[in-house]
Amino acid sequence: MDHNHANNESVEEREIISWKRKLIGAWFFTIPIALVMLLDKFFEIKIFSEQLMIILLLILGFPVIFIFGFQTIKSGLKGFTSFYFNMDSLIALGTLIAYLTGIASFFVLIQDYSGISAMIMAFFITGKFVETKARGRASQEIKKLLELGAKKARILRNKQEIEISIEEVQIGDILIVKPGEKIPTDGVIIKGQSSVNESMVTGESIPVDKKLNSNVIGATINQEGILYIKATKVGKDTFLAHIIELIEEAQSTKVPIQAMADKITSIFVPTILIISMLTFVGWSFFSQDLSKAFGVAVAVLVIACPCALGLATPTALMVGSGMGAKKGILIRKGEAIQTMKNVKTIIFDKTGTITKGNPEVTEIYSKDNEHLLEIAGNMEKLSEHPIAKAIVKKTDLKDYKQVKNFKVISGKGLEGTILGKKIVIGNEVLMNDKNISLKGFESVINDFEGKANTVLIVSENKKIIGIIGVADTIKEDSKNAINKLNMEGYRTVMITGDNEKTAKAIAHQVGIKEVIAKVLPEEKSNKVKELQKRGMVAFVGDGINDAPALKQANVGIAIGTGTDIAIESGDIVLARGSLRGVVAAIILSKATFRKIKQNLFWAFAYNVIMIPLAIGGVIHPVLAEIAMALSSITVVTNANLLRRKRI
Amino acid sequence: MKKIKLTIEGMHCASCGSNIEKVVGKIRGVNSISVSLMTNKAIIEAEDSVNMEEIKKSISRIGYKIINVE
Repeated sequence: MDHNHANNESVEEREIISWKRKLIGAWFFTIPIALVMLLDKFFEIKIFSEQLMIILLLILGFPVIFIFGFQTIKSGLKGFTSFYFNMDSLIALGTLIAYLTGIASFFVLIQDYSGISAMIMAFFITGKFVETKARGRASQEIKKLLELGAKKARILRNKQEIEISIEEVQIGDILIVKPGEKIPTDGVIIKGQSSVNESMVTGESIPVDKKLNSNVIGATINQEGILYIKATKVGKDTFLAHIIELIEEAQSTKVPIQAMADKITSIFVPTILIISMLTFVGWSFFSQDLSKAFGVAVAVLVIACPCALGLATPTALMVGSGMGAKKGILIRKGEAIQTMKNVKTIIFDKTGTITKGNPEVTEIYSKDNEHLLEIAGNMEKLSEHPIAKAIVKKTDLKDYKQVKNFKVISGKGLEGTILGKKIVIGNEVLMNDKNISLKGFESVINDFEGKANTVLIVSENKKIIGIIGVADTIKEDSKNAINKLNMEGYRTVMITGDNEKTAKAIAHQVGIKEVIAKVLPEEKSNKVKELQKRGMVAFVGDGINDAPALKQANVGIAIGTGTDIAIESGDIVLARGSLRGVVAAIILSKATFRKIKQNLFWAFAYNVIMIPLAIGGVIHPVLAEIAMALSSITVVTNANLLRRKRI
Repeated sequence: MKKIKLTIEGMHCASCGSNIEKVVGKIRGVNSISVSLMTNKAIIEAEDSVNMEEIKKSISRIGYKIINVE
C-alpha cells in the first residue's frame, strides 16, 4: 500500500510540475506574440511587413503548440484514431486549425489565426495548471492522512533498543514509545501507562487514557508516559491504512445526481465536434467569410469543456470526505450524501450506540446471593454477549463447574445443566417459553426495569432463585446529539432487544420518544423496513451486530468501537463512538450535496450559455479559451470553499 | 470475483474517466469499473477469469498509462 500511495502522490505532483514547465515555456513564446499582435491590432504599429509578421507568429507559435502542447495534441489526436475523444481532442483540433490558417494564408486569402492558436494553447495550459493545483488542494486532508503514518519505530530486540524503519516492524514486535512520540503501528500496551492523542485518526480531541492491555492506534501521539507496545497489526491491516483505503475507494462511488452530467460528459466531445463543424459550414455559407467561419468554429471547439460538468461532483465529494475524515466521519458511499437530505427518521440501536456497550451488574435480588452468582457466573462464562461478560466480571469465580447441554437462545438467554440441575437464565419471554412462573418476583422485575436495567431471571429446575439487573451507562454526549436531531425535526427512534420498560427508561434519559423494544437481532432489519414505509430512514448502530439493519436502511451509519471499525457495513462510518458524529455527518452530507448542486448548476449554465454565444460568433477564440479554463477552475474552487462550513 | 485497483496517469479531464470506463466496461469478465479523477484510480470488479492484459492494452490504446496494479 505504501508503495502505491507514493505512486499516487507522484502522479499528481508530476502533473503539476509538468504543467508548470509547460506554462513557463508556452508563455515565454506567447508573450511576444501577444505584444506584436496588440501593437498591430490596436495601435496599428506595424513593426514588420504582413508576410514577415505571419512568419514570425508561425515560428514563435510552433514551440507553444508542438513542444509545450505536444502531449495535448498527441492525446487529442489519439481520439480521432481510436474514436474515444476527450477534451484534448477539442483543443488539439482548435489550435491545429488555427495554426494551419497561418500557413494557408500564404496561398489563399484567409485570416491568419496562428498567433491566436498559440494564445489558446498558452491559456489552456495555464488553466490546466491552476485546475490541477486546485484539485490537489481538494484532496489535501487525505494527503495529510497518507503522510500521517510513522516512518520509524523503536523496538526492543535482545533486550536492546534499536530503531528500524516502519516497513520492518512485524506483528509481535515490542515497540517503545517515549512521550511526545508517534505510536508506530496498531498494538496493545504491555507495560506503562499514558494518555494518547488520537485526534488525527478518530477526530476525538481529548487525549484518551491508556493502560496495560489498552489498544493503541498507529500514527497517534503518546502524551506523557513511556509505553511498551506489542504490535498487533502492521502495514495494510492497520486502522489508519483501512481509513485511507475506505476514503480512496469512496471517491470512485457515484452520487446519483451526477449521472446526468456523466451521460452528457460521455457524448460531449463528439457532439461538440459535430456542432463546430456545422457552425463552420453555416458561417461560411451564410456570411461568405471563410476567415470568420474558421474563427467561430475554433471558438466553439475551445469554449466547450466537459470538465466543469465532470468535476462538479468528484471535487465536492473529495473536499467533503476530507473534512469528514478530519473529524472521524468516513463517507464510504457517495450516494449517502444525496440520500441523507431525504432522511426523516433516524433509528438508533441501544447497546453500544446510545450506551457505552459495557454493561455492569447494578442490582441483585435473591435469598442467597452467593449461590445465585455462582450459578450465573458458570453459565455466562460460556457466552460472548456483553451482558454475560458483565456478570462474569461481577461474579469473579475462581474455578468453574462443568455445564452440560449448554445452549444460547438468541435474544432471550441461556440454558444448561449444572450438577444435574437444569438452569435457565434469561428474560421474561424465555421464562414464559419454558413455563417458569414469575410469581412473587414481578415487583422486583418491574423495579429493576424502571431503573433502566436489563433484567436476567435465574432459574434452577424451573424455580426462580434470583434476579440480576444489568445496566449500561449512556455515552456522555448521546443526549445532546439526540436533542439536536429532535430539534431539527427528525423522528428519532430507539431499537433494542430489551423489554419495553428498560428501553423506555433509557430512551427517556436521552430524549427519544419512540421505542421499539424486544426486537431479536435478526428482526432489526425488518423493523427498519417497516419504518421505511413512512419515509427514508437512517440507522445508527455498530457494524458488527447490526450489519443487516445498516444495509436495509437508506443511510447506514456504522459506529466504530475503539480500534475496530466495521468497514464493510454502513454508508458512513464514524471512527469514534460519539453520537455527535451523527449530527456532524448529517450537516456535512447536506453541505456537500448543496455544493454538488451548485457546481452542477454552474457547469450546466456555463455550457448552455457559452456554447450558443460562441456559435453566434460573438466570442473571440482567445476569450472562449479563457472562459473555458475559468469554468473548470470555478467549479474546483467552489468545491474547496466547502471548507468554510463548520461541522 | 476479484477487485482490481489501477493507478492511471494522463487523465486530464472528465471525459478521460468516462472513456476508460467505456472501453474497459466492454471487456469480457469485467462487471463494473469506476474511475476517480481525484485519486487517479480505477476500481474494477471482474471475474477471476478476466484477461488483465486486455484491460491494460485497451487503456493504453486510448492514450492513458497504467502505473500501478493492485
